[in-house]
Amino acid sequence: MSKPTDLVQGTLDLLILRVIALEPMHGWAIAQRIRQMSGDELRVGQGSLYPALHKLEQQGWIEAEWAASENNRRAKYYTLTRAGRKALENESAQWARLSAAISLVMRRA
Amino acid sequence: MRWATTLRLRLRSLLRRDLVERELDEEIRFHVDRLTDEHVAAGMPPRDARQAALREMGGLDQRKEECRDARGLALWDELRQDGQYALRGLRKSPGFTTVATLSLALGIGANTTIFTFVNAVLLRPLPYPGSDRLVILREQPIGAEATVSVHPQNFLEWRARAGSFDALALVQTPPLDVIGPGGAEQISDAQTTSELFRVFGVGPALGRVFTAEETRPGNHDVVILGHGFWQRWFGGDPAVLGRRLAVRDGSLTIIGVAPPGLRIGLIEPDAYTPLPIDPAKPDSIGSRSFECYGRLKPGVSLDAARAEMAVVASALARQYPIDRGYGVFVSGLHEYLVREGRPALGLLMAVVATVLVIACVNLAGLLMARGIRRRGELAVRASLGASRGRLVRQLIIESLVLSSLGGAAGLVLAYGGARALVMLTAGALTVGSLEPIRLESTCLAFTLVVTTMTSLAFGLLPAWQASRVEPQMALRERTRGGSADRRQHRMRSALVVTEVAMAVVLLVGAGLLLRTFSRLVRVDLGFQPSGTITMGLFLGMRSPEARVALVDQILERVEALPGVTAASTIQFLPLTGMNCGTGFWLEGQTPADASHALPTDCSLVSRGYFAAMGIPVRDGRPFDRRDRLGSPRVLIVNRSFTRRYFPDGRALGRRILVQSSTQAWAEIVGIVGDVRHNGLTSEPVPTVFLLHAQTPGYITNLVVRATGDANAQAAAVRNAIREVDPTQAVSAVKTLEQYVGDSLTRPRMYAALVACFAVLAVILAAVGVYGLIAYVVAQRTHEIGIRLALGASRGDVFRAVFGQGARLAFMGLVLGIVAARGLRGLVSKLLFGVTAGDPVSYVVAAAAFAAVALAVAAIPAHRASRVEPTAALRCE
Repeated sequence: MSKPTDLVQGTLDLLILRVIALEPMHGWAIAQRIRQMSGDELRVGQGSLYPALHKLEQQGWIEAEWAASENNRRAKYYTLTRAGRKALENESAQWARLSAAISLVMRRA
Repeated sequence: MRWATTLRLRLRSLLRRDLVERELDEEIRFHVDRLTDEHVAAGMPPRDARQAALREMGGLDQRKEECRDARGLALWDELRQDGQYALRGLRKSPGFTTVATLSLALGIGANTTIFTFVNAVLLRPLPYPGSDRLVILREQPIGAEATVSVHPQNFLEWRARAGSFDALALVQTPPLDVIGPGGAEQISDAQTTSELFRVFGVGPALGRVFTAEETRPGNHDVVILGHGFWQRWFGGDPAVLGRRLAVRDGSLTIIGVAPPGLRIGLIEPDAYTPLPIDPAKPDSIGSRSFECYGRLKPGVSLDAARAEMAVVASALARQYPIDRGYGVFVSGLHEYLVREGRPALGLLMAVVATVLVIACVNLAGLLMARGIRRRGELAVRASLGASRGRLVRQLIIESLVLSSLGGAAGLVLAYGGARALVMLTAGALTVGSLEPIRLESTCLAFTLVVTTMTSLAFGLLPAWQASRVEPQMALRERTRGGSADRRQHRMRSALVVTEVAMAVVLLVGAGLLLRTFSRLVRVDLGFQPSGTITMGLFLGMRSPEARVALVDQILERVEALPGVTAASTIQFLPLTGMNCGTGFWLEGQTPADASHALPTDCSLVSRGYFAAMGIPVRDGRPFDRRDRLGSPRVLIVNRSFTRRYFPDGRALGRRILVQSSTQAWAEIVGIVGDVRHNGLTSEPVPTVFLLHAQTPGYITNLVVRATGDANAQAAAVRNAIREVDPTQAVSAVKTLEQYVGDSLTRPRMYAALVACFAVLAVILAAVGVYGLIAYVVAQRTHEIGIRLALGASRGDVFRAVFGQGARLAFMGLVLGIVAARGLRGLVSKLLFGVTAGDPVSYVVAAAAFAAVALAVAAIPAHRASRVEPTAALRCE
């Protein structure tokens, strides 16, 4: 299982923002979705997921709201705020630049 | 907007902790449940599935703690821990905590008390809309600092020429005798032009204000009631409009009621009546005896208005003889009203700030000593991994807790202090203030700021010092003094010297002010204030003969009352701030030439005045019944007058002409002693006494010298007046002693307050000296024990320790004396009869402080000399 330290610093935030940009989601679903979308490559540990969510909430990038889950339990759903959407755009662009640069280096090496 | 969201969430995390916790709990549980479900779906037995899920989570509490950290709660928790730790530490040393809290409470309390006055008098704006645009205009002789009232002709010219003002109003506030069911009563009346209410930006509470027509010549018998008077006389009845208010010579129709709290200058008029000015003859209502208020146009600055009025004034000076040599004085109204309170409050604020600084310096010293005692504890914490920043923070929080305790106690003191001060100073500080003086939110904010700054002021240095621990060193040497100790000792000594110096400065100041006060109490007034009652009479629009006859009849009746030894009248009583300056010509001069008139003060009195006041007649005779309307004109002068104008000493029998509305050559028939008419600190000036019976005035004051109870006598006098004329009202009764007391209020307040604060400062400084020496003794008990064991005498030990204290006190004393001499300019204006360099004050202050300091140093010195060598050597 991928540990949080395996992810480049800040990448988890980006992944969370990207995933909930699609629709409001609770923590469990976010982890599942990341795993699914990454072709089972990235597994987010609880130890990093929830602190990250709480931090993003404090930053005002996402906001939480309690709603019934698909199995009819009360769950905390996270939504992207306007500031979060802007942050996502910035971070994605940065990520694209960074990963392109890294692959460039890797290819030449 | 982001910060707002963040702040809201942070606050939610802080304030709704239980809710946030519950949500966190539920969120994590949800996750565990889903994990369990997944394992079950994969075929695990339910119980194993749950175990596996919990294992994967790796400790629920740890997960939650991580989330809490992410929410930024850690810092808060640490701060709370520090706070609790600080409180525990302070509880453990109750002596230190008490001394520290008490000195802070006194310092902060004194500052908040004085600030309450500063806030009420200087900071709070006048309670009118756009009050920053309210101005007062007065006339100012060119080159003079003092200003004089406004001439009606100038008011008309200003109103016509100046473009800086939205509105200008001219006001005079004579008394008005109104007649109610309880008899005649004298009330205050604002005679005003129609723009007054526009100037103040207020409308009537009821009815209407004056029209422009009503302030032109003609018979306009209308009145607007003051709000307070309306409540008092009419019980606030709204049906009062259209009713008539009876006055002595007729009645006035009530057309309106003024809004509550409207003050014209310093008085809240009971009534407002129109002031009709005849443009063709403006001085028919009087000369320079009116006040002019104005409202600046929006966007016009005070400076611009001043510049414009300077131009107007010079144009008027070219055009009219009466304006030659006069400029126009323009000031913000609030600024003008507080002109006397401002320096007083400035001085007191400086004094209490000094007291607080002394308290802080003192505490810094105490905390440093505490820091050394706690070095072991801090070293343990440092070696257990506390960062230096964390240690400093811990110590600063201790200071903050301490100053908060002091601040809270200071607030309680200030609450009582402000109330006591309002009574003690009886208006001496509150000149111009309209609203009641009380602690309000601004004062609370001030206290909060002062408290916080205080804790930094006394806490930062000791915290920095104490946190400079090197764990091994500190743990090894524990309390024994090393080089760091010596450095710290020097710093503490410097602090003590500083606070002693500041206390000495205050003590010298207090000495100067106390000596001033004692001089003022013993000043020779020139009259005998005891056993004399006074009351004001407004003679109104009677004929001159009637005014003479009325005063005559009243004096006849009053003189006949049992216990009355003398009775008379004077237009303006001494020490009331009112006088009448005029000019006169000697025989041989041409009276038509006003520019050659010699200046003199002028008092309009009745027969018996000098007896009633206890003023000695030095030569000639006093006025008596022979001097009447038709008899030869006579006058009396004082000794200053003869010294100045008749250096040959032969004034009796000479004739002079005094400028007045009914001027005529008159013979000097008497010479009387000098009186300090214009204030206790003002030297007597040349004065002529004219006789009411020959040149009757409109306003006068009855002066009655009588034995027995003043209240009973006053009642008898009022009865006598009522018998003469039931429609004649009198103003409030006051004894001459009360007037003398009033003029002592401010010097008394200065002396009392500065003395109080100086004593406080001395106590704090003494605590500082004591604390340092006692600490040194405690540190060196071991060493003293060795010395004694090696044969030093107890006297040697006493002298060594005592000498150290005496040296500090002496250095502080010298520094304080030097500083006091440097600062003497600050008080010189408040002194009377002593100079700011008065050696007596310096010597007494120095001796008093030296006695206290030496006594205080002797206590630890004595204790040191009583040390038992065996016990001291065992104690390590």
